[in-house]
Amino acid sequence: MSNLAPTPDPQTAWQPWQSTESEPWDRRLAAHLFRRASFGASRAQLDEAVTSSPHECVDHLLNKCQDAETRAFDAEMTTMAAGLVAGEPQTLEPWWLYRMLFTPASLRERMTLFWHGHFATSAATVNNTSMMLAQNETLRQHALGHFEPLVQAVSRDPAMLTYLNSTTNARIHPNENYAREVMELFCLGVGNYTERDIQETARCFTGWEIRRKRFRFNKHQHDFGTKSLFHQTGKFDGDDAVRIILAQDAAPRFIARKLVNYFVCDHPVSDELVEPLARELRDNDFHIEPVVCRILTSRYFYSQAAVGQKIRSPVDLAIGLLRCLEGTVGTIALAAALQPLGQRVFFPPNVKGWEGGRKWINATTLIGRVNLVSKLLRNDHVRFADGSLTDYFQDSETSAKLVDTLAGLLLAVPLPDSARRELIRVAQFHKNKVARGASDVLCTLAALPEFQLG
Amino acid sequence: MSLSRRKFLATGVASAAVISGTTQIPELLLQAAAAPSAGGARSENVLVVLQLSGGNDGLNTVVPYADDVYARNRFQTRISAAQAHKLNDYLGLHPSMAGMHRLFQEDLLTIIQGVGYANPNRSHFESMDIWHTAQPKAKRDARQVGWLGNYLDSVNSKHPAYAKNDVPAVHLGNEVQPLALAGLHVQVPSIGSFDDFRFDEVNNRQLAAARDKLLSAAATDVNELVAHVRAAAQTALASSRRVRNAIARQTNSADYPQTNLGKKLRGIAQLIQAGLSTRIYYVTLDGFDTHSLQTESHAGLLRELSGAVTAFIDDLTHTGQSDRVLLACFSEFGRRVKENASRGTDHGAAAPMFLASGRLRGGLVGEHPSLTDLDDGDLKFHTDFRRVYASLLEQWLGVPSAPLLGGTFKQCRNPKVELDRLLALGKSARTK
Repeated sequence: MSNLAPTPDPQTAWQPWQSTESEPWDRRLAAHLFRRASFGASRAQLDEAVTSSPHECVDHLLNKCQDAETRAFDAEMTTMAAGLVAGEPQTLEPWWLYRMLFTPASLRERMTLFWHGHFATSAATVNNTSMMLAQNETLRQHALGHFEPLVQAVSRDPAMLTYLNSTTNARIHPNENYAREVMELFCLGVGNYTERDIQETARCFTGWEIRRKRFRFNKHQHDFGTKSLFHQTGKFDGDDAVRIILAQDAAPRFIARKLVNYFVCDHPVSDELVEPLARELRDNDFHIEPVVCRILTSRYFYSQAAVGQKIRSPVDLAIGLLRCLEGTVGTIALAAALQPLGQRVFFPPNVKGWEGGRKWINATTLIGRVNLVSKLLRNDHVRFADGSLTDYFQDSETSAKLVDTLAGLLLAVPLPDSARRELIRVAQFHKNKVARGASDVLCTLAALPEFQLG
Repeated sequence: MSLSRRKFLATGVASAAVISGTTQIPELLLQAAAAPSAGGARSENVLVVLQLSGGNDGLNTVVPYADDVYARNRFQTRISAAQAHKLNDYLGLHPSMAGMHRLFQEDLLTIIQGVGYANPNRSHFESMDIWHTAQPKAKRDARQVGWLGNYLDSVNSKHPAYAKNDVPAVHLGNEVQPLALAGLHVQVPSIGSFDDFRFDEVNNRQLAAARDKLLSAAATDVNELVAHVRAAAQTALASSRRVRNAIARQTNSADYPQTNLGKKLRGIAQLIQAGLSTRIYYVTLDGFDTHSLQTESHAGLLRELSGAVTAFIDDLTHTGQSDRVLLACFSEFGRRVKENASRGTDHGAAAPMFLASGRLRGGLVGEHPSLTDLDDGDLKFHTDFRRVYASLLEQWLGVPSAPLLGGTFKQCRNPKVELDRLLALGKSARTK
């Protein structure tokens, strides 16, 4: 009764996927790629994608991260950010949602969101807009780069150290908080270090302080003595500690596994499946981009074990819905509508970030998801390619075609027959014009459990 | 509390022991047996679990103010003898906890000291998972079902709690649902706010009907994730109207502090008073990870805790419900005996738990852990937390605990009850 595909073979899972006659590169798979690597694709984007290949699409997404259009957009966002700095941290959320909604560099933005969940820091605690923006920029800058410089940057990051109560770290009695999280949550995962490693790492980070919102090294508080961690002994400092931690076998495995769960599927993946990616990270100086590229073009990624095997995050749900329908909305209103869904960017629940997967869904958040869609549809400021939803679907010839178009754009799995019949019935509530039914169909489609899959 | 009421309650012992299916006398923590009576849903016992997230500094909550070792280890963060609300000549509650101190004096609060587990894990997430699942030794991926989820599955397996019945448990809060409530079959709704716990109106009745139909449509394509979403949708449909009606009906005039926890506990009191048959409620209070500048933030948190819990118990007492409601409060670990140089404290191990109810015997259970005989700088536990769970399951919820906890754990004994019992039996000395 389960439709879970057989567990992929670790030997072949990460080999490049090839289009075949029985499983061709089509709109379904292109939509899957764009849901995971971007925030969804519009009809026009899908039309274009099917004329190329997955590899070309991924290359295009990667190239987008540094082209002229992106540079201009980034400059616009920086200007906007400058206007926020003096204000309340609550303005951060609409700012980032705007960025996700309109950025040409959608894969880079997706990775920035990944690192935000990984190095989770909440503006509710930090309570400083400029520090949060600076951290966000650090994450974006390293989003597809090398992991070690990213960890080094985060270890000095004023927002992070403020969040973890680690703005002072005195020699006499080291604060263990950052040392613990850098191993447990950022680099290795539980079970891959000892309490002693934490204590020794805490000594390495003594004297690392935040003063007047900036990082500084306070040599008077640094313990210059010999430390022993992971069977290495020396007069290590914080950078050495990060280097030693990242040299552990557990580190690339930990990151590779998290990437697989982010891009491919929610269910746990075996060590064997993670290993080829971990090896690639290790051999490649922990470079993130090639591994992401490999995941997004792999057999596993396009298999039944991946397509529709994730619950959409609230941000994916909202931004995805809008991007798929070329929708625009005031993101202050969008941030407010997202509130009951359990994911506020810049305000993760704790240092572990969002658990995601099934945890996204419970009675309240499900109600919130269904209501979010009806709120967007009722909001007169929401436009679809600069028009109404009826305008957007005016070329729909029949109610059945309207339903199929919407389902094709927005569902990760096939629309069940019974639901399709019901939706066609809903589409016909408006008897005079097919496209008028679009709003009702979308409102009802959003109630379908399948709608929550991404 | 009047003596006559205690005597009255004590007469329930024999019958309750029969109902709960055990032969032992189950009143070890409570005044009298509190296993559910046969008298229908309204009289059933309710358990409210209050989780203090982040690792509450137990040592500054139940303070050994008279101990020099405490004073020496807590130079910056210490609570002085003059500040503490005295429980006895050694221990006192944090100065913010005037309300809970009164509950203690009125025997409405039991403090179980030195609770923890062997080989304590000092990661927030691991230790919280351990408390949630009651499985200290299991691997992370193996921890899928919570101890309360297990309980809910066991009592609801015969009649799924959807549709006609009320949901068996409610989690009140915006945070991710605690793993403690995760069951294999039963799905517990998380309610962020009562206002948000409703489907928006749509244009017309036809559309609303179509939406409700699709929300709960029977599975055709069985994708495990779809099944999970569908179960949540069914829970939402079944419970949102019932819960909102209960809240709307109640005009609770009790005086609660205007804190998050105060609002949540007021909401729970309203649902209880409205007669919902829900038996488990779960709330959290976050912010106890006090690595730096602890004094002020910890005082604020304990003020919120004490104020809300006191208002809750007072409210329930006033409305005659406090004998069927028990609030149990825990944190994933305590904090290190020695403070750090940031005027805070780092992750530790054993800590006290609190139980509050009109049905309790009150007082201190267990000794305060030694401040000198430490485990890597941390207090040693003497009471495995699963013993407390076993006591709650057996004595309060009236179910055998061993199948749910995966083993038999000796239940907690309140020395006062024990003493009463021994005196009644004519023995002069307590035996361990």
